[in-house]
Amino acid sequence: MTAASVLFVRLIVRPLGREPARTALTIFAVALGVAVVVAIHLAGSAATGSFQSSLETLTGDADYEISAVGGLDEKLLAGLQALPHPLQFFPRIEGYAWRAPDRVSVPVFGFDLIGDRSLDGIARTEGFDLDQLTADDSVWAGSALVPETGRQLRLTMNDQTREFSVHGILDVSAENGASRSNIVVMDIGAAQRAFGKEGRLDRIEVFVPAHDDRDWESIITAALPEGVTLSRQGSRSNENRKMLSAFRWNVRVLSYISLIVGAFLIYNTIAISVVRRRNEIGVMRALGAGRNAVTLAFLGEAGCLGAVGTAIGIVLGWLMADGAIDMMAATVRSLYVSSTPGEILFTPGSLLVAAASGVGVSLLAALAPAREAASVAPSEAMARGRHETTARLRIGRYLAYASLLAAGSWGAALLDPVGGMPLFGYLSAVLIIAATALATPAMVNALTRLLSPLLRAIFGAQGILAPRSLSASPARTSVLVAALSTAVAMLVSVGIMVGSYRDTVIVWLDERLRADFYARTAGQREARQYPTMDPAVADRIEALPQVEAVDRFRAYEIRYEGRPSIIGSGQSEVLIRHGRLGFLGGSSSKDVLTALGSGDRVIITETFSNRHGLGPGDTLRLPLGGRMVALEIVGVYYDYSNEGGAVIVDRNTILKYLPDPAPSNLAIYLADGVDPGSARPAIEKAAGSRSVTVADHRTLRTRALEVFDRTFAITYALEVIAIVVAILGMAGALVALVIDRRGEIGVLRFLGASQGQIRGLVLFESGLIGLFANAIGLLLGSLLSLVLIFVVNKQSFGWTIQFHWPAAMLLGALSFIYAAALIAGIYPARVAARLNPIEVVHEE
Amino acid sequence: MSLLRLESVTKHYRSDNQDIVALDNVSLAVEAGEFIAVVGRSGCGKSTLLNLSGAMDFPTSGAVHINGVSTTGLADTQLTEIRRRQVGFVFQFFQLLPTLSAIENVELPLLLCGQTSNRRHALEKLRWVEMGELADRLPHQLSGGQMQRVAIARALVHSPKLLLADEPIGNLDSTSADIVIKLLRRTADEWGTAVVMATHSLEAAGITDRIVQLRDGRVEEIGPA
Repeated sequence: MTAASVLFVRLIVRPLGREPARTALTIFAVALGVAVVVAIHLAGSAATGSFQSSLETLTGDADYEISAVGGLDEKLLAGLQALPHPLQFFPRIEGYAWRAPDRVSVPVFGFDLIGDRSLDGIARTEGFDLDQLTADDSVWAGSALVPETGRQLRLTMNDQTREFSVHGILDVSAENGASRSNIVVMDIGAAQRAFGKEGRLDRIEVFVPAHDDRDWESIITAALPEGVTLSRQGSRSNENRKMLSAFRWNVRVLSYISLIVGAFLIYNTIAISVVRRRNEIGVMRALGAGRNAVTLAFLGEAGCLGAVGTAIGIVLGWLMADGAIDMMAATVRSLYVSSTPGEILFTPGSLLVAAASGVGVSLLAALAPAREAASVAPSEAMARGRHETTARLRIGRYLAYASLLAAGSWGAALLDPVGGMPLFGYLSAVLIIAATALATPAMVNALTRLLSPLLRAIFGAQGILAPRSLSASPARTSVLVAALSTAVAMLVSVGIMVGSYRDTVIVWLDERLRADFYARTAGQREARQYPTMDPAVADRIEALPQVEAVDRFRAYEIRYEGRPSIIGSGQSEVLIRHGRLGFLGGSSSKDVLTALGSGDRVIITETFSNRHGLGPGDTLRLPLGGRMVALEIVGVYYDYSNEGGAVIVDRNTILKYLPDPAPSNLAIYLADGVDPGSARPAIEKAAGSRSVTVADHRTLRTRALEVFDRTFAITYALEVIAIVVAILGMAGALVALVIDRRGEIGVLRFLGASQGQIRGLVLFESGLIGLFANAIGLLLGSLLSLVLIFVVNKQSFGWTIQFHWPAAMLLGALSFIYAAALIAGIYPARVAARLNPIEVVHEE
Repeated sequence: MSLLRLESVTKHYRSDNQDIVALDNVSLAVEAGEFIAVVGRSGCGKSTLLNLSGAMDFPTSGAVHINGVSTTGLADTQLTEIRRRQVGFVFQFFQLLPTLSAIENVELPLLLCGQTSNRRHALEKLRWVEMGELADRLPHQLSGGQMQRVAIARALVHSPKLLLADEPIGNLDSTSADIVIKLLRRTADEWGTAVVMATHSLEAAGITDRIVQLRDGRVEEIGPA
C-alpha cells in the first residue's frame, strides 16, 4: 500500500466509516439518482429503442417496400412481377385484430402463404392442403396467443368478430421472437376479405438480386404510378425513431433531475467534510501536504461515495427498469405506435451511463469544495468560523452571478430549437436552476430575517435558534435548501405543466366532443390503428328517427416529410351545424369549415403546422389514390389527440381519391329533445351483428383523460424519486450538521434545554429547511413551468397549453414535501438529543 | 440545610475498556452565599465534580443533593428542571452561541424555561456585569473577558441558587481574569448564590471562602482560603 493510500484510508475513508448512518444516507441518495437514470436508459431503449411498430414485426430481409395512402391496387403486383428484371415482389396485408374476450390488440398479417419464400422460418406450411391454407378461418398464431395447434381463436377484425382455427404455432426462435409471439398470420386472400380490402394490398416487399448494383430504386420507381411510394426497408423504423425522439429526450431529461439533486447533496457532503476538517487540513498542509494532495483527497472521498452509490444504483436501476418499461410502453402504444417492448439489455453503454452519472457527477459536484479545501492556508485553517464568514461575504457575489445566469436563461428561452430539439430550452432550465441555487443563500437570509420575529414570538428559544443556525451557516444549509428546492421546483414545474396541459385538454375535449354518442369498432385501440366499420351501420343509425345527423370520420396513415401522421376525413356540413373546432388566429369555425367542404382543401392541426412550418394559404401535396394531390390549407386548429399531427379533408374530397366509404368512427348527433338514454339501445341495435361500441361523450372524455394520466404517471414517479433522493440527502446532511454543532447542543443542555427541546430544535430546523425549500421551489418551479410550457413543449411537441395553477395538486405536493422534510429530521433529532453534553462540551 | 451536599460520591468512567475513577468517595457541603474553589491538577476530577453538582450526571455511588433534592434516580426532565431553576454554568471557553447577540445569549436560559418577555431582565443582568452597552454585539465582536462576563450574566439570568464555574479564567488575560473573579465574588455576596469554581489559579482561589484540594479524584484537603 502506498503512503498516499494509507493516508487516504486514515484521513478520508475511516471518518466515513465512523459516521455510518450519514455515509449510508449519502450513498443511497446517489444510488437512487443513478438507479433512475439507469432505469430510464434501459427501459427507454427497450420500450422505444427498437422503433419498430408491431406491423414491422415480420419485416424480413426485403430491400424495399412499396406503399400508398389507403393501400395499393393489387393489379400493381402483377405489373411489377412482369418487369424484365430478376426482382421478387411479395404482397402484404396488415391490420389489427382484437382478441376476444380481453380485447388485446393483435397484429395480423396476410401473406401469400404458397408463393412467399420470405416466410421461411416463420410459418411452417408444409403438410397442409391448399384449401386449408387459404381458408377464411385458417390462421397461424404466436405462442402467447394460443398454446397449441388445433385451438380456436376468437378475433374481432374491423367490425366483425368470429372464430379462427389455429393451424400452426409461429416459430419464435428467430431474433424477434418475443414480439412475434402475439401475432397472427393468414393467407392474403383471407386477410383481404377479413379487413374489407378486397382488390387492395397494404404493402409490397421487394427483394433485389444480391451482387447486382444496378440503380434498382430508379428502375422500380419508374414502374410505379404517381402517389405510390418506394422506400428502403427500415425507413418506418427511422420515422418512428424521429417521432419518438422528443418523448425519449423528455423522459431522459426528467430522469436527470434526481441526479442533479444528488449532485447538490454530494457537493454538500464534501463541503461539510471540508468545513469540519479545516483544522486537519491545516495540520496536514503544515506537515507538508501539497494543494493537489488535498484536492485529490476530497475528490477521492466523492469518488468513493459515487462509486459505491453507482454500484448499488446499477442493481436498483435494473430492478426499477421493469416498472419503467411498462409505463413507457403504455405511453408509446397510446400515443405513438402500437409496439411490443423489447428485452432489457444491459450494454457497455448502460454501464457508461451509470458510471458517468454516479462517479462523474459526484466528482464534478465535489470539485468546488475540494479546490476550496486546497486553497486554505495552514494558518487560516485553525481559525474556526472563518469559512462561514467567508461564505456569508460571498452571498453578494453569488447574487450577482445568479442575475447573470438568470439573464442567460431568459436569452436561451428565446432561441429556436436545434434540429427539432429544444436544446436551448433545456439550457434555459439548467441556467435558471443554477441561478436559483446561487441566489439561495441570499433568499434563506431574507426569509430568516422576515420570519425571525414571528418565530421567536411563537416558539421562543427554538424560534430564535433554528433560523439563526440556518442563516449563520449558509455554506452548509443553503446547499441543502438548494437541493430540496430543486426537487420541489421540478415537481412544481411539471405539476403546473401537466396540470395546465390537462386543463387545456379538458377544455378542448369539452369543446370537441359535441356529439351525443360516438361509435367505433370494438377493441382497445392503440396509436395508429384505424379499423373500419361497415358503411351500412352509419346509414342505419342516420336513418333512426332519434338521430339528427351522423358525421362519418375515416383516418388513413400518411407520411409527410419523413414523419408519420394521419389524414382524416369528416363531413363538413355536419361539423358546421353541430361541431365546434377552435382555430388559431381566431378564424371563424363556420367560415373555415365551409371552405373545407368546397374542393381540395384541408385544415391541419397546430402540431402539424408547427412541425412542417405550414399555415393557411399554403399548399400541401399528398399522394392520394394514385396521384399527387395539391390541397390548399384553409385553417389550423387546436388538437391534442396526436403528436404527429393530422390533416383533415372533407369526406367528399377523400372519397374522390380513396373511394372506400367505410368509416373509422361515427359522431352521432341526436335530434332536439331526444333522451340519450332511450336513443342508445336503438343505436346499438342499428349496429346489428357488427362489433361496434357506442359510447357517450362523457365516457369518451373519461377514457381520454385516463390515457392522459397514464402518460404522465412516469413523470410523477420520477419526480417523487427526486424528492426521496433530496429527503435522504437532507437526513444525512442534517446528521452532519448536528455533529458539527454538537458543542452548541451540549451547551444548550447545560443551560437547561431538555432532550425534548433539543429534538424539537433539530426538527424545527428541518421544518424550516422544508419551508424555505418549498418557498424557493415554488418560485423556481413556476419559472421552470413557463420554460416547459412555452419553450420545451412548444418546440418538442408544438402544442399550445394554457397556463393554469393546479392549486390543489401543488398544495398537496408541498404539504407532502414539508412532512417529508420533518420526517427527514427525526433521525438527526434523535442523534442530537442523545449526545452526551459533558463529552461534547469537553471536546470543544 | 446545605445548598449543595455531596455524600461519599464516587464516579467511574469506562474509557477504551478501562475503568477510570474520576471521583473517589468525595463528600462536600456548600452553603448559600458561599464561594468555593476546587483546585487540583488536570484530570483530578474537578470538572466531574462540577458536572455532578450541576445535575448533568449521576454518581456511580453516593448521593448529590441540590437544595435538598437528591439527583439520584431522577429522570432527564427532572434533572433539566433542576438545572433550569437552581443551577447556572460558566465555562472556560465561554460557550456563547455564535449566532446570537450578547443579550440573546443571556435571554436563552429564560426562553428555554418557556418565559417569553424577558428582554428587560436579561438587560439588567448584562448591566450588572457592565456589558449593557454591548448588548447587541455578536460574540465574535467581543473580547475574551467581555464574552466571559456575558456568560456570567447568562448563568445568573434565572437567579440560580448555585453557580458552577469550570476554569472561568483559564482562557483570559490577568486583567480580565481579575474582573471575572470579582464578579463571581459579588455573585455570592450580593445574590446569596453558592459559587463553586474549578481553577488552576491559586491566586483566584485566594479570594474564595474555602478551597477544596482534589488529587486523583479524592479530596486531599478542605480549608479556608
